[in-house]
Amino acid sequence: MKLVKLALRITGAVLGGYGLTALLVALLTALLVQADMPRTEAIVSASMAGFLMYLAVLVWAFSTIRLHTLWAGLVAGSGAAYGLLLLAR
Amino acid sequence: MNALHTWAGVVLGSLIFVIFWMGTLSVFDREIDRWMMPATRLAAPSSQAPIKLDGAVTGAAMQLAKGAPQWFFRLPSERVPAIELRWRNEATKAFERRFLHPQTGAVLADADTLAGTGFIFPFHYTLHIKWVDLGEWLVGLAGMAMLLTVVSGVVTHRRLFADFFTFRPKKKMQRASLDLHNLMGVLALPFHFLMPLSGVILLFALYWPSAHMGQYPQAKNVEESKKAFTAEAYGQYKRAKANQPAQSAASLDAMLASAEKQWPGGKADFVRVWLPGDANSYVELRRSYAGEVTMNLDQIYLDAATGKVLKRFEAAPVMAVQRFTAGAHRVLFDHWTLRWLYFLGGLSGCIMIATGFLFWLESRRTSHAKHGLAGVRVVEALTVFTVPGIVMATLAFFIANRLLPAGASVGGYGRATLEMWAFYGVWLATLAHAGMRGRWAWREQAVVIGFLAVLAVLLNWLTTRHHLAASLQQGMWAVAGMDLALLTAASLAWVAVRRLRANGAMAQPKAPQAAAKPLQRDKSHA
Repeated sequence: MKLVKLALRITGAVLGGYGLTALLVALLTALLVQADMPRTEAIVSASMAGFLMYLAVLVWAFSTIRLHTLWAGLVAGSGAAYGLLLLAR
Repeated sequence: MNALHTWAGVVLGSLIFVIFWMGTLSVFDREIDRWMMPATRLAAPSSQAPIKLDGAVTGAAMQLAKGAPQWFFRLPSERVPAIELRWRNEATKAFERRFLHPQTGAVLADADTLAGTGFIFPFHYTLHIKWVDLGEWLVGLAGMAMLLTVVSGVVTHRRLFADFFTFRPKKKMQRASLDLHNLMGVLALPFHFLMPLSGVILLFALYWPSAHMGQYPQAKNVEESKKAFTAEAYGQYKRAKANQPAQSAASLDAMLASAEKQWPGGKADFVRVWLPGDANSYVELRRSYAGEVTMNLDQIYLDAATGKVLKRFEAAPVMAVQRFTAGAHRVLFDHWTLRWLYFLGGLSGCIMIATGFLFWLESRRTSHAKHGLAGVRVVEALTVFTVPGIVMATLAFFIANRLLPAGASVGGYGRATLEMWAFYGVWLATLAHAGMRGRWAWREQAVVIGFLAVLAVLLNWLTTRHHLAASLQQGMWAVAGMDLALLTAASLAWVAVRRLRANGAMAQPKAPQAAAKPLQRDKSHA
């Protein structure tokens, strides 16, 4: 049980966190393009910010929050980011 | 955060160490090249007549790269005194590299080695795993883990300032290794944060495909959108083949001179001829990074027949920030003081990771032995394989380079491959040795490292006659620096061997009463 919980936390942080951040990067790119930034510049900006966002997500995921809070946050965050991405494009 | 720091460190520490070690060596990759490619140990270009590409030099390139769709020169610099010519061999699809004498255009004897720029540097960011870019992804994961361990390390070691002034080398291994871990961690903290960050930023287009995926509607897959993005952001120019022979060729020297007029204070150091011999052939010139941190994207494309400018490109503002970050990571600018500081920063990272492992091992050795746990045994073997093991493998790579005769080949594999086999063979042997010898492996491998480092210096002397006094006298700083670094490594190995003998901790398993006064594992050092 402890091992399953640990595995769920690590996959949530590393893979789930990456998925959430990748959606946020796509969303930020789309928003910057909407704001008339040239697309290459928007892509570079969002990508560079992406590493810091991913780091923040990792720190959050490995902090003392509960496992279900982590997964709920990942699912809700990804869903919201994806919804906004569809609107922004 | 404490457990995170410990476990991320133990699980990914080996990978991070390997990347740090190869990155540290890559700071001097071109100097390693000079040592491993004796024919290119020429005088620095400042003491020579100005470079003339038209005629002998271009003629040599046309001949060597016959049939290639493109070839390029890197012009001589302080660190690479010869003209580097590269092209893709259409038969083998492999990139070929030869060095030309900058005045005569004579092709310098090919050492057939990947050396620093071809083996050590790519190892740093690809681990030489090419399949689905897995190497780059692993290195990216290690980079994020490093950022996370730095953040959690700062949280773990709340007494950052006090730790900085605490070093008790005379204390036993456990205490001394923790002090050294903290000292190195704090001393170079900005470096240890900025190197992995700028490293992942270098490869941003690989790591965040979601950024460019939706932005290029005509692209059918990720590969295509990445290509389209790269072409646009990095200013690539392409022109199709005319399939007719070129009628004339404009002077490359004149093109260089006109480009340098357009880049105030800048010098071109990269000349690529696209579609050589074709009527639609064109020339790409890039501005040198020697004088600035930024790996600029200043490029000029010219028509090869007339010298007419086809396209001029400079990086857009945010891209320029990325190029600055990339340049701060790659250190391609000329600044010897900073280059040495990068080297020392890299070594401090290696020491930080190694001493982190040592602390983990020492603080669990007794209890694991008592409870019959395998953790210390396994991690110790892995640590020995990672730390002294990779140093030994690197030395084997250098020694193989000096021992293998010119044109050596085994089963159709040439020198370059054999040198890599020496590296991987010795590296695996250190793992086997570490598994068999346990804690004894440290000292035994340190002894071998000392001998191998001296042997490498001696072999350089015997095979090239450039002993230390000669290389210093002739101003071959790359060769002298490499020899001095090897001798320094040998003396450090000697110190380590002595220290490990004096410190009974490593020579014999600790008696239970030695742990009577265990280090208090308070919250901040769990």
